[in-house]
Amino acid sequence: MENLVYIALFAPFVGSLFAGLFFARSPKNIVVGVVNSALIFISLLASIALAIHVVEHGAIHVTMMDWITVGGLHIPFGFVVDEVSVTMMVVVTMVSTVVHIYSNGYMDHDKSFNRFFSYLSAFVFSMMVLVMSDNFAGLFIGWEGVGVCSWLLIGFWYHKKDVTPDINPAISPSYAANEAFIMNRIADLGMLIGIFLIYWNVGSLQYDIVFEKLPHLGDGILVAIAMALFIGAMGKSAQFPLHTWLTDAMEGPTPVSALIHAATMVTAGVFLVIRANPIYSLDAVSGVSYFIAALGTFVAFFAASMALVNRDLKRIIAYSTLSQLGYMFAAAGLGAYWIALFHLAAHAFFKALLFLGAGNVMHAMNDELDIFKMGGLKKVMRGTYLYMGVASLALAGIPPLAGYFSKDAIIETAFNEGTYILWFALVFTAGLTAFYSFRQVFLTFEGEERYKKFGFHPHEMYRYVLIAMSPLAILAIITGWFKGSFHEFIIRLLPDYEMSHHTHHNAWWLGLLVLAFAVTGIIIAYMKYARKGDKAFKQDKEVESGFLYKLLINQYYIPAFYTEYIVKPYSALSDKFWSIDKAVVDATVDFIAKVIYKTGDRTRVIQNGNLSSYLNWMGVGAVLLILASAVAVVIG
Amino acid sequence: MIGISHYLILSGLLFSIGFMGVLRRKNLLMLFFATEVMLNAVNIAFAAIGNYYGDLSGQMFAFFIIAVAASEVAVGLGLLIILYKKYHTLDLDVISTMKG
Amino acid sequence: MEHILTILIFFPLLAGILGFIVDRDSAKAYGISVAGIEFLLSLWLWFSFDMDNADMQFTEFLPIIKEFGISYNVGVDGISLFIVIMSAMITLIGIISLNEEKIDNIKNMIVSLLFLEMTMIGVFVALDAIMFYIFWELSLVPMLYIIGAWGGPTRVYAAIKFFLYTFAGSLIMLVGLLSIAYLYHLETSVWTFNLLDWYQLDLSVNLQYWLFLALFIGFAFKVPMFPFHTWLPHAHGQAPTIGSVILAAVLLKMGTYGFVRFSLPLFPDASVQMIPMIVVLSIIMIIYTAMVAFAQKDMKQIIAYSSISHMGIIMIGIFAMNSEGLSGAIFQMISHGMVSGALFLLVGIIYERTGTKLMSKFGGLASIMPVYATIFGVMLMASVGLPLTIGFVGEFLVLLGFYKISPMATVIAGTSIIIGAIYMLSLFKKSFFGEVTNESNRGLKDLNAREITALLPLVAIVVWLGIYPKPVLKPIDNSVQKLLIDMKYKARTPEAKKSIISIQRAKEEK
Repeated sequence: MENLVYIALFAPFVGSLFAGLFFARSPKNIVVGVVNSALIFISLLASIALAIHVVEHGAIHVTMMDWITVGGLHIPFGFVVDEVSVTMMVVVTMVSTVVHIYSNGYMDHDKSFNRFFSYLSAFVFSMMVLVMSDNFAGLFIGWEGVGVCSWLLIGFWYHKKDVTPDINPAISPSYAANEAFIMNRIADLGMLIGIFLIYWNVGSLQYDIVFEKLPHLGDGILVAIAMALFIGAMGKSAQFPLHTWLTDAMEGPTPVSALIHAATMVTAGVFLVIRANPIYSLDAVSGVSYFIAALGTFVAFFAASMALVNRDLKRIIAYSTLSQLGYMFAAAGLGAYWIALFHLAAHAFFKALLFLGAGNVMHAMNDELDIFKMGGLKKVMRGTYLYMGVASLALAGIPPLAGYFSKDAIIETAFNEGTYILWFALVFTAGLTAFYSFRQVFLTFEGEERYKKFGFHPHEMYRYVLIAMSPLAILAIITGWFKGSFHEFIIRLLPDYEMSHHTHHNAWWLGLLVLAFAVTGIIIAYMKYARKGDKAFKQDKEVESGFLYKLLINQYYIPAFYTEYIVKPYSALSDKFWSIDKAVVDATVDFIAKVIYKTGDRTRVIQNGNLSSYLNWMGVGAVLLILASAVAVVIG
Repeated sequence: MIGISHYLILSGLLFSIGFMGVLRRKNLLMLFFATEVMLNAVNIAFAAIGNYYGDLSGQMFAFFIIAVAASEVAVGLGLLIILYKKYHTLDLDVISTMKG
Repeated sequence: MEHILTILIFFPLLAGILGFIVDRDSAKAYGISVAGIEFLLSLWLWFSFDMDNADMQFTEFLPIIKEFGISYNVGVDGISLFIVIMSAMITLIGIISLNEEKIDNIKNMIVSLLFLEMTMIGVFVALDAIMFYIFWELSLVPMLYIIGAWGGPTRVYAAIKFFLYTFAGSLIMLVGLLSIAYLYHLETSVWTFNLLDWYQLDLSVNLQYWLFLALFIGFAFKVPMFPFHTWLPHAHGQAPTIGSVILAAVLLKMGTYGFVRFSLPLFPDASVQMIPMIVVLSIIMIIYTAMVAFAQKDMKQIIAYSSISHMGIIMIGIFAMNSEGLSGAIFQMISHGMVSGALFLLVGIIYERTGTKLMSKFGGLASIMPVYATIFGVMLMASVGLPLTIGFVGEFLVLLGFYKISPMATVIAGTSIIIGAIYMLSLFKKSFFGEVTNESNRGLKDLNAREITALLPLVAIVVWLGIYPKPVLKPIDNSVQKLLIDMKYKARTPEAKKSIISIQRAKEEK
């Protein structure tokens, strides 16, 4: 079994090296795409085999070698394959396999085809390290590793130049990449502090030892650890106020958005909370947990509101990702860890599918992203329409698709905990979700064929790409049906979460209410955006000049606020410091040197070679000496 | 009655005159005169104090000084003449050759 | 090979003197072979080093002036071993990277480098205070010459500033060293400058305080600590590439090494008392210089200021007073040597090609010089402390160790991982990303064989020690633990005893 663990872990790494070392400078080579996809597929197979093993025999724990051993600190490269990590492994490799195959078609014409696969496989490797590590330091390796891969991939088209934010809110891919990296670093500092706290209070970073010793720690320390780790999670999972990087990250190639910024990396924060559930389920940190749930709910609503008005195909999906991450945090914060994990998995499948569908549309529309310039694409892109429709239905939570089972469970949890404000916010957001996702689908595929005005000639994606996407579509449909068996499997490790009798009793109308909101959202979207002729969608200038619209389209002015009050002052302060460095610190040193130099220069006059002045100075000296001795006599 | 203090005051005055001459004069010859004045001021003091204590060493020293001053003037004036031949002046501001 | 350390010190000196009679055309080859042999010797030192022994090894002792206890006394332990190896390696890489066509008078350059190598190794293996001081001062001379002879337009100003600044500091240090010898004489009526004897000296807290300050000035000028850092940007700005590489990689480490070798074991109580002052200065150094780095327009200046910022991390690690932080700091010295050395080499390469270091003249270099951009990217990631690169291990351990002393200060110092990323990524973006803004850059050639030979070993080490730091960390940790045990034993004040955390390894291995 150990070998399987290493195969699952290192197959993507081998792929990355293969593409990076041997083909980095050669032109597009299809072998790279095929080999890398195959290696990820092998990793998927190994993960599935491990999953079966875990179901039958329980967790596997391997230690590869020592990493850092200093003083009392001992960090090995250790990996644990248990119920939680194996779920993540299957989800990650599953989506990665599809995305790799998809990328063969999508990146077809890109001159950096090989480089792309190298980065993408490196990302999968880092993600596997993240989920499989058996200690917090190993998790941090993966955590930073995915951050760098994300940086590389967001900035993949680094050659594009910077533009002003009104043309492209992300300015440029390289700018967005740096923004993502730096924002994540802010959160990583929190995570590091959490690791330090754990080390100095527990003496180890291994999950099992840490969780075992938790009851012996003081409440204050536990709260501090929980907060610090959650700050780390906030960055990776783009929670408010560190959320702005995620939408800008859409500058990366679409397969990247599907894999990294929807299905896997951004869920790492949720994974961390689930992994560290023994900390978060302690009574001492219930305040932090409730904060997580509240923040999650807030972000769910907050992100959905921004998605309502956006015109950018990928940004809408990015907001919906943000919103769904909020749902996951809400569930995890309320103690329903397994439901959060279940939603994480289901979301990974349908959101990746949605992004890949968006990629097909972009491919067809020459990278145009404005959905107002599309419409009526269903004629030419029947397959993509089907996929995106299914994914959106799943996202909207329509039965019997995956989203219905997972999201409904989260909303039910909020009801069950008696947090009715959170509950209502989540229900309402479900309606918004349905509306914006179908607004996007209808604007793209239904209604008038607006693209003709702009001279586009859309065409469907390659057939093999469409076939490769089908596993995700199937999973987006059927995942929910296995909720029961997943529950049984996962509660061997995670704490169970059962609805109370009262909630059980009310479950039918709760579900119906959510459904009603969702269906209403879809119907409104249909009425407004899907029809043709007289009732066809037109831009409404009046709405667009309204305050609310402006607020939402400008993302509540948060990016502008960051630029104005953080980025610019930072630059200004840096410049100030530089001038201080020159004008004060360095100048002081030079001043001391100058004083000495000038003193020498001035006193040089004494040595002017004139006998008469020498005699004068001699006289002065003699008088001074006499005076000095006289003073000495008087005092002495 | 003329006492020791009168001699010493005279000596101090003469010395001050000589000292001021050394400081202020620019002409080398005048510098020589000034130093001679200072030396003789000291001579007066020596002789007076020697007499006051009834000790002959004071007057002996005065003679020594006169002898030294005489030889010094002999050598010094010789040098002055050479300098004058070379520069045609004895002004110190003009003949300063060392530059600091 | 009993006299391996003597050979390590004096072989470059002899070879350097012989270097004067070598033909100009073969000067570089001569330099490479000498530095190569020296590097192999230093590797031999590593392989025959007893990893489980925390004490001084390969010691040699030869009295020179018996009356005053001045002697030729050398030895290495885990703390100095890797700095010695690094000095030899960086010198070799530096000589390999020299471009014969661009540097006139290459023979003198090689000879200066070999002299410099002697002084560097001498400083790190000296166990006699006078010998340490002599090598410390001698190291200024070749560097002064390298900056002054091959530097930029205001090289003389920069060189003199470098010289006088550090010289002023080390004179005060000399007074401190002499006073220690005097105090030792008062107590035992024996004159000695042997460091190991000094370690036995028990000083009152008040005396420790003043002597600590005297040595602090000498070391802090060299590190350079805020506010004594301003000679460094000038020196780097004017120095030729090779000068910057050695200055950043090795010479700065003399200061931090001095703290570990002298200040901590000699003055344990004063060191603990001084933590607040050192930490405030170090934090200012970390954040302030990182922000100044962000404001720079010149690539080399960014890396120069980033060096200061990273030295700040090393400083707080040294004063963490526990094995994690101190070992981390020493590891970070190695790591910073490798990474900043490589970054200065990289900047030198582009400067050689374009004649400018201003970022505004670049842009889009990643498309033109992909290999260059890749290596730069790796070094950048190591510089911002990415896990599995050499930069992470040291930085992580330092911050982890210092957390025990002050969580608040650690949070503030930890912002270096954020602001470090800010200036490095903005440097990378401005120079490598975007469109090719300067048409004349289109014809730039990617790295040639000579440059790759110089850089690849550094890349390999950066990755290797990031994944498997154990062979280096273990000897360091051994010696550091011994140092801490001695310090704790020697400490007089209760708060010092409390702050210094020593772990008996035997207990740990149980």
